[in-house]
Amino acid sequence: MDFLRHLTSQAKLKIFLFLIFNDLLLIAVWLSLSYFLKINNLITAGMLSSLGLLLAGLIAIYLSGLLMQPLKALWQTILHLAPHEQSTLRAPNIDKLRFGRQLVTSLSSQIYQLVNVAEQSRLLDQKQRGDLKANFIASSLPLPFFALDNQETVLFANQAAAEYIGIKSEEMMGKNIYMLLDMAFPSEDTFDKWLKNAKLHNATATCSWDRVRLSVLDNHPTRLFDLAAYYNKGNPQKIETMLILFDHTKQYSQDEQAISFIALSVHELRTPLTLLRGYIEVFEEELSGKITPELEDFMAKLNATAQQLTAFVNNILNVARVDEDQLVLQLKEENWQTVLAGAIKNLELRARVRGIKLEIKIADDLPPVGVDRLSILEVINNIIDNAIKYSGTSQVIKIESHLSKDGLVETTFQDFGLGIPLGIMSNLFTKFYRDHRHRAQIGGTGLGLYLCKAIVGAHGGTIWVRSQEGKGSTFGFTLLPYTQLAEAIKNNDNKEIVRSAHGWIKNHSLYRR
Amino acid sequence: MDNVPLPPGRNLLIIEDEHFIGELYTRALSKAGYQVTVEADGQKGLDLAQTNNYDIILLDLMIPTITGIEILRVLRDPARVPKVKAKIIITTNLEQREDVRAEIEKQADAYIVKAELTPHELVQFLANIK
Repeated sequence: MDFLRHLTSQAKLKIFLFLIFNDLLLIAVWLSLSYFLKINNLITAGMLSSLGLLLAGLIAIYLSGLLMQPLKALWQTILHLAPHEQSTLRAPNIDKLRFGRQLVTSLSSQIYQLVNVAEQSRLLDQKQRGDLKANFIASSLPLPFFALDNQETVLFANQAAAEYIGIKSEEMMGKNIYMLLDMAFPSEDTFDKWLKNAKLHNATATCSWDRVRLSVLDNHPTRLFDLAAYYNKGNPQKIETMLILFDHTKQYSQDEQAISFIALSVHELRTPLTLLRGYIEVFEEELSGKITPELEDFMAKLNATAQQLTAFVNNILNVARVDEDQLVLQLKEENWQTVLAGAIKNLELRARVRGIKLEIKIADDLPPVGVDRLSILEVINNIIDNAIKYSGTSQVIKIESHLSKDGLVETTFQDFGLGIPLGIMSNLFTKFYRDHRHRAQIGGTGLGLYLCKAIVGAHGGTIWVRSQEGKGSTFGFTLLPYTQLAEAIKNNDNKEIVRSAHGWIKNHSLYRR
Repeated sequence: MDNVPLPPGRNLLIIEDEHFIGELYTRALSKAGYQVTVEADGQKGLDLAQTNNYDIILLDLMIPTITGIEILRVLRDPARVPKVKAKIIITTNLEQREDVRAEIEKQADAYIVKAELTPHELVQFLANIK
C-alpha cells in the first residue's frame, strides 16, 4: 500500500507543478500581450482563455499518458499471463517505466505468484482426476485385479477380484496375498519365485503364467486361470506389484474332466484286481512246488501282470489326485538304502519274468532322506516299469544311488534298450493325452513320468532323463537329505512335513505368513 | 448276539459286502490264527461290533444299509460308554477327498486301500498294528 500512497503523492505533485507552470505561463503571456502589443483586455482575455484551453488539453494528454503507464504495464502483465493471450503479448519492460515502477514491480510479482499457485492447483486437480480415472478403471475392470505393496500386502482389490475369490474387497485390504490366493503352478516357475527374483534384480518386470490353479473357500470350486503380473520397484504410490487373473476354469477343466472320467472308470478295476491278486496268492501258496516249472513260470508271470495292472490303476488314480490337488505327501525321515532296496525287491519279479536282472549299487554313506514312502515307491515303480518295457533285448537294468556334489541323494536307473527319440524328450514329463503323435510309437509314456515329476517335485527334488536312441536311457532323480528339508521348516516338532504334489513345492509354511 | 468272551488279540470282524474279498481275507486271517466273522450288512455289522469284544474290525466304507463312515462315527462317539476297544481298520478301494480321508483317519486306527495289499500282506500289516 506504501507504493500506492507514494504513487498518489507523486501524481498530486506532478499535477500541482504542471498547473502552477500553466498559471505562471498564462500570467506571463497576459502581461506581455497587454504591455507590448497594447491590445485591449477583452481580446487578451479571449486569447488567453484559448491558450489556457490548449495548454490544459496538452497537459491532460501528457499527464494521462504518464499516469496510465503503471496501469498499462499491469494490464500487459495480466494479458501476458492469461491462458489464451500469452503467445501474442510480451511481458512489459518495467525498467522503462518513468512513473510507479515500484508499484508495478510489486503488483506484477504478486500476480506472478497468484498465477503460479493457480497453475499448481490446476495440475494437482488434473492429477487427482487422473487418479480417480485410474481408480475407476481398476474398480470397473471386469478381471480380478490386485495391487500389492512391497510386503505383498493387498493395497487394492477390485470388485471382480472380490467376486472371484469370494472375499469382500475391504476384507482383503492389508492381508498378505498368499493368505488370500492359494495358488498352485504347473511348473516350478511360480509367482513368488519370480517376484523374489524381480525384487533382487529388476526395477520393473512383467511375467505371465498359464493354468494356475486356485483353491479358494471350501464351498467354491477350484479355479483355473492365467495370471499376469507387473512389478515396479519403489512406486511412489507404494503399489509395487499388480496382478490380473484371466479365468479359464471352464476351458481348462475339460482336460481335467477327461482325467477324472478315466479315474472314475479305472476305480472300478480296483475290486477285481484285489480279488485277482488275492486268488493268485492263494494259488502260489498252495501250488508252489507241486506244479511243473513251466506252470510255476506262468504263475509268476500272472502275478507280475496283476502287479503291473495294479500299478497302472494307481498311476491313473494318482494323476487324477495330483490334478485335483488331492495328493498330499507326508515326508518322514527314512533310510534311503532300506526304502530303495525294499522297492527293488518288490519289482524283481516283474523284471525276472521278462528275463531282466536288476543290478543295484547303493552307496553306504547316504544320509537319511525326507520321503513319503508310498509315493516314492510309485516313482521307483514307474521308472523301473518303463525301463523293463523299453529294454528290448538287453537284460540288465542298473540302479545306482549316491550322494551328489550338491549334497543331494541321487538315484539313477539305466537301461540299455531302445532309447528315446530326441523329438519327444521334452514331452516325456507331460500328461499322456497331450502327446498323441507318439502314442503309436511309445504306448502310455508320459502318464507315469508326469506323476513321477509331481511326486519328486513335492519332495523338493528334480527328475531328469538322458537318452540315446538305440543305446538306452538313464532316468534319475534327487532327494533332499532330511536335515535340509527340516531346515526349510523351523519348529518342525512332529518329524513330518506335509506337502501337496502338483509338480512343484507348495508348502504353506514356507510361502505363507 | 450273546456277549461271548473271546481270547485277546485274535478276534476279528470283517464288515465287507464283496463276498469274494470276505472269503479271501477269512482264509488268510484264519490261517494266521484269527477268529474271523464276516458281515456283509452295515447295520448288522454295527450290532455285532457293539455287542462283541472284537480286537480288530476291518471296515469297508461302501456297504448296504448304513455306510462304514456312519458305523465309524457310532463306534468312535466320544460320549459312548463303554468305549469300543477294537482297532478299527478302514479297508476300501474308494478314493476319498484328502480332507475326508484325513477326517476318517483321525477316528480310525488305520486306512488301507484293498487293492494295494494282498491278503498275505494284510496279515503282515495287522501284525504290526499296535
